[in-house]
Amino acid sequence: MRLSDIALWVFTLAFFIFMILPIAVVVVISFTEAGYAAFPIPGWSLKWFARIFEYEPFIDSLITSLWLGVVATVASCLLGIPAALYLSRARSGWATVITTFLLSPLSMPMIVIGFASLFFLSALGFGISFLSLAIVHTVICLPYVIRTVAAVYRAVPPAYEEAAMILGAGRFTTFREVTLPLIRPGIAAGSLFSFLTSFDNLPVSYFFGSAQTNTLPVVMLAYMEHQFDPSIAALSTLQLLLAIVALVVADRLYGIEKMTVAT
Amino acid sequence: MTMNRRRFLGTAGATTTLLGLSGLPLRAQGGTLNVTAYGGVWEQAIRDCFVAPFEAKTGATATVSLGGPAQWLSQVEANPEQPPLDVLIMSPDLAVLAAEGDLMDDFTVEKLPNLQYIPQEFTDACLGKGTYFDYGVGGITYNKQIVSEPPRSFADFVERVSSGEFIASVPSISYGPTTVFFLWAINNALGGDVDNVDPFFEAMAKMKDNLVFWAGPNDFFNHLASGEADLGIYFDGRTWNHVDEGVDWIDFINPEEGGAMTAVAIQKPKNASDLAWDYLNEVLDAGNQAKFAEILNYGVTNTQVEYSEKLASRVTPLSEANLPPYADIARVRNDWIDRWNREIGM
Repeated sequence: MRLSDIALWVFTLAFFIFMILPIAVVVVISFTEAGYAAFPIPGWSLKWFARIFEYEPFIDSLITSLWLGVVATVASCLLGIPAALYLSRARSGWATVITTFLLSPLSMPMIVIGFASLFFLSALGFGISFLSLAIVHTVICLPYVIRTVAAVYRAVPPAYEEAAMILGAGRFTTFREVTLPLIRPGIAAGSLFSFLTSFDNLPVSYFFGSAQTNTLPVVMLAYMEHQFDPSIAALSTLQLLLAIVALVVADRLYGIEKMTVAT
Repeated sequence: MTMNRRRFLGTAGATTTLLGLSGLPLRAQGGTLNVTAYGGVWEQAIRDCFVAPFEAKTGATATVSLGGPAQWLSQVEANPEQPPLDVLIMSPDLAVLAAEGDLMDDFTVEKLPNLQYIPQEFTDACLGKGTYFDYGVGGITYNKQIVSEPPRSFADFVERVSSGEFIASVPSISYGPTTVFFLWAINNALGGDVDNVDPFFEAMAKMKDNLVFWAGPNDFFNHLASGEADLGIYFDGRTWNHVDEGVDWIDFINPEEGGAMTAVAIQKPKNASDLAWDYLNEVLDAGNQAKFAEILNYGVTNTQVEYSEKLASRVTPLSEANLPPYADIARVRNDWIDRWNREIGM
């Protein structure tokens, strides 16, 4: 066996030990019959999954998180796709400035965005509301859509669209019949990242939490701080399952390979 | 279906209206009160012990917002004229900050008849703009299967951990209350004061090879369960909660010098609904507090409360706990954290 093969084996083993095993432990703990989180588990039970459905704030906040993820993703696509198409082809210096500005939420600490947005949106009269949450989540999701769509669109030769227009297609028809099918993997990848970013977000959602607007991560944090049972592990297992299903569906629809190329 | 400009604008308008309707800013409204609670068992206890009697007596309704004091205080600071919350549950240090920032209303017996049964020092600790209603004490929690003769005092704890007799799990600086229930408590027990924390840092230097740090309360339990630590600094109520969940191998000791009282304050933001006074009075009611204490295994502050036999043996009496000088600690807290980061780092 060559040295490079050994190194690859060591790397793979280390990856499984440090990345996969902790997740596997959480999954196993979610099936414990004990009233506290400990490993190895003394016996098997599904009661912590039942607890998720008994505890109303988990379900209410899950619905809020799902809605928020969808609204933020749709808004990010509506704003991000046209911006990405224009900025990808633009040659002016302003385009670089605007692109950097639109991508800036990626490089800012989320907690700063959350805190600043709370005061800014409150001053504008939006206060603690679902609308405020949707606005801020759109801001943090937008870069993912712009990046992925722009990356795919830059790889599309302008000649395709020029050919369609020469053959008589208008701007909208060209977009619908030529551009959109070509950038669809980028939109799918951007939407997936956008949804997952919104769904998992804690630092921004934290500042806009209320009885009506608490998201799942905020409720999970509040629960974990004062309760010791393994229902959070069960909830994490369900979230993991949700992410896997989303990836499988995305793979079937667009192909993970195409989507990862897009990023 | 073709999408012309009129249809597009109509759809966009309808969407915006729907979003707007479901996303109206949260405001304290006439017959509805927005109150706060920590998550899990806390939330259920707040609903059963305080919200239910409040709703029964007033006919009003109360919604419960889950989260934490820093989040709620930020929301009130951002909307002082129309606070989105009517009642705040606060940590003692943030209660002082909120009072100093003139964001909260004064507590008086005229507004809150049950305030007369709460020791005045708890209202004074909130600068008159709030009071404590629940408290725990930070002391020594240990694994009974490993530690047969646990330390009975903080001084003994420091001595025996330093000698390597035990591995101790102690809170890290990233956990908010650490500066009070650990740093101040041990410093106080070793003869220091707010302006002299050398005794604490000298003790930490002696113990450093035999310490593991917990970032959140659940870590502490994991340290003991996994055998990573034998004992540590933890809260009485949380220890009893573990016992009630079937963990029969841990126990708690209130050190001889007295552990630090870590209280939960309640406050009413200025401009919040006046209904909040009715709710707050329920929070301070002896019967409601007794019920609350039974659920959470923590002590409560109304002097008229009579605990059950089981709880009476668990709750650390107020007379055996030390009330930290929260306002003074707030003044030097940043210096302590800075020194901790330089000398301890965790």
